[in-house]
Amino acid sequence: MTNRHPLRILLGPQSPTPTVGAATANLLPGPFAVISAGWQETEGDLDELSEAVGRPLEDLRLYRRTEDLTGRDAGLADAIRERQDRLIEQQRLYRLRLKQLGIAARHTLGAEGDAEILAAEQRHAIAQLRALDRHHLRRSEAAWQTFFERFAPETYAPLARHAEEITTIIERSAGVIVTGGNVAVLINRMRLFGVGPRLADRDLVAWSAGAMALARRIVLFHDRSPDGRREAEVFGAGCGLIPGYVCLPNAKHRLRAGDRMRIGLMSRRFAPDHCIALDNAAELHLDATGIRKKEAVRRLGGNGRLTRLEVA
Amino acid sequence: MNPQLRKLFRKGPPEPASIDAFLADTEFPLVDGSDVTFVYRGAADAVRLRCWISGLDTAQAFQSLAGTDLWAATIELPKGSRIEYKFEVISNGDHALVLDPLNDVLAHDPFGANSVCQGYGYERPTWTLVDPDSRNGVLEPARIESKVFGGSRDLQIYKPARFRENRRYPLLIVHDGADYLDYAALKVVLDNLIHALEIPPLIAALTQSPERLKEYGADDRHARFLGDELLPFMTERYPLIDEPRARGIMGASFGGVASLHAAWRNPGRFGRLLLQSGSFAFSDIGRHQRGPVFDPVAEFMNEFRENPGTPAERIYMSCGIYESLIYENRSLIPRLQQQGIDVRFEEARDAHNWENWRDRLRNGLSWLFPGPLWFVYE
Repeated sequence: MTNRHPLRILLGPQSPTPTVGAATANLLPGPFAVISAGWQETEGDLDELSEAVGRPLEDLRLYRRTEDLTGRDAGLADAIRERQDRLIEQQRLYRLRLKQLGIAARHTLGAEGDAEILAAEQRHAIAQLRALDRHHLRRSEAAWQTFFERFAPETYAPLARHAEEITTIIERSAGVIVTGGNVAVLINRMRLFGVGPRLADRDLVAWSAGAMALARRIVLFHDRSPDGRREAEVFGAGCGLIPGYVCLPNAKHRLRAGDRMRIGLMSRRFAPDHCIALDNAAELHLDATGIRKKEAVRRLGGNGRLTRLEVA
Repeated sequence: MNPQLRKLFRKGPPEPASIDAFLADTEFPLVDGSDVTFVYRGAADAVRLRCWISGLDTAQAFQSLAGTDLWAATIELPKGSRIEYKFEVISNGDHALVLDPLNDVLAHDPFGANSVCQGYGYERPTWTLVDPDSRNGVLEPARIESKVFGGSRDLQIYKPARFRENRRYPLLIVHDGADYLDYAALKVVLDNLIHALEIPPLIAALTQSPERLKEYGADDRHARFLGDELLPFMTERYPLIDEPRARGIMGASFGGVASLHAAWRNPGRFGRLLLQSGSFAFSDIGRHQRGPVFDPVAEFMNEFRENPGTPAERIYMSCGIYESLIYENRSLIPRLQQQGIDVRFEEARDAHNWENWRDRLRNGLSWLFPGPLWFVYE
């Protein structure tokens, strides 16, 4: 092992043009571990990925491990259900409050009048949103901590056995790929087995939901759902392996880029983290020293525009 | 006069060859903002526009355009409207209802077809069209023995793409299921919405009644059939989520009545209702005005309005504003909301027809059964 900093390569959706092959071409040789729990039932269906990256792959099977465990361990299954019920209820109440604060913030940002008076009110409106996001994140973490008190991956034997196997696979891999998919399913499985900290010294390649899961915060968004626009929501904590970024995959489709107020509000709400749009051709290479490479990555600006991400 | 017709007639009555060219090069009906002009060519004593729109005369006379065999009628149609119509051509005392010969756009229903006028601003939703990228679910036949009705009933079961026995699915019971497939593109819509993650993969039981005006008209036998026979039948054979929120019933017109009635008679079993242009006849005093087939419906609706209970936790309703049932549908909303039911009501500039019901399916289904769209980032 060299002393080089581990790389984090963030990609957008892998269709229509897969980019993961090219992105991984210059990484350390050897097999890669894969986390495809976000694919749920099709987890581990790696033929296409294997062909694209041209190296041996081994899936960590986090989704299947969870299914197997909960099928045999009623206590664990009940605790997961209880945790999820709590998280869902918290998310519902958060959404309720978020909706009103979001409306208030947009009205305030759109208001006309004395610039100095407005600026103070606008800052406060955004601060309220940020406070709510922080509160929700704390509450979400509290639900996880309650769960971990009984079912920590290090101490609860059935989980610990799996965690050990997972660690072994990660340690014999040159890097880890985290695929897209259902981000809630993905991060819940990663946290259940305590995967995040085990990835810290590995090269990581992640796209879409995978990239979101590596961030400090996972932010859900979709401006084109049948229900109409909703405020972007903090879902919970991610692995915290790419501090300073909020990942917004497939933003070209999911985000109404022409709505400058909305874009500007998102940018200011999640600052100082950079909200980055990861579309199909996007590629961002990070290490502990900063950005190593970037292709087609755009950042949401406080002025409501999407602009090219500059090298830090 | 419509600007295109005015241009045709600017030098007086046009020659037949000019008319031929005009008809060949022009899309009909002529839509000029909110003015829509229907054109008919041919020998006749009179021509009328028949469009069965509540609020408009059922028959509107065409004017003969001087010196030609052309006829025209103009109506005002608000933006985003869609109407179905026929022409009534009267010759020598004969009345013939015909499709608009100049318009290829048709809507089909169990009674045949109508010409369709898509007013300014109307576009057929793309999610109602076959998307080659969407994975196809399958329809399989099933037969249920019904003690309630004394015989067997044929069903069609929709199973989503990538169906797996070890997963659990929501159940949607569809009244007039075959008609929804044929005239409202239900399978295409389900395939597309599931593919787009706007609804979860679900199983649909498509029923078809041999005597719908009777069985769907608040008939207790039908409610028992759904609750005591069809639901257990489906539960035994398919991997379903065993919760009311994952069980829905839907229907249009009398199918809407059947859905509401069945849920009301089976409280706590069906958590979701999708009711389209429900024939919810009622009377505040005296007798309803809709004819004898509505008698049991009005009796039920009057009782329901007195004691609605909670037939479902969440109800999506839609109705066209060009149908007389808009009054009954609007009247039902506050009564449902008073019960604490989560109600969403959508009005459309459309009438009592399958394409109206088709165009509302996305909003209804995705609200009743939200898919994982919010969470999935491929």
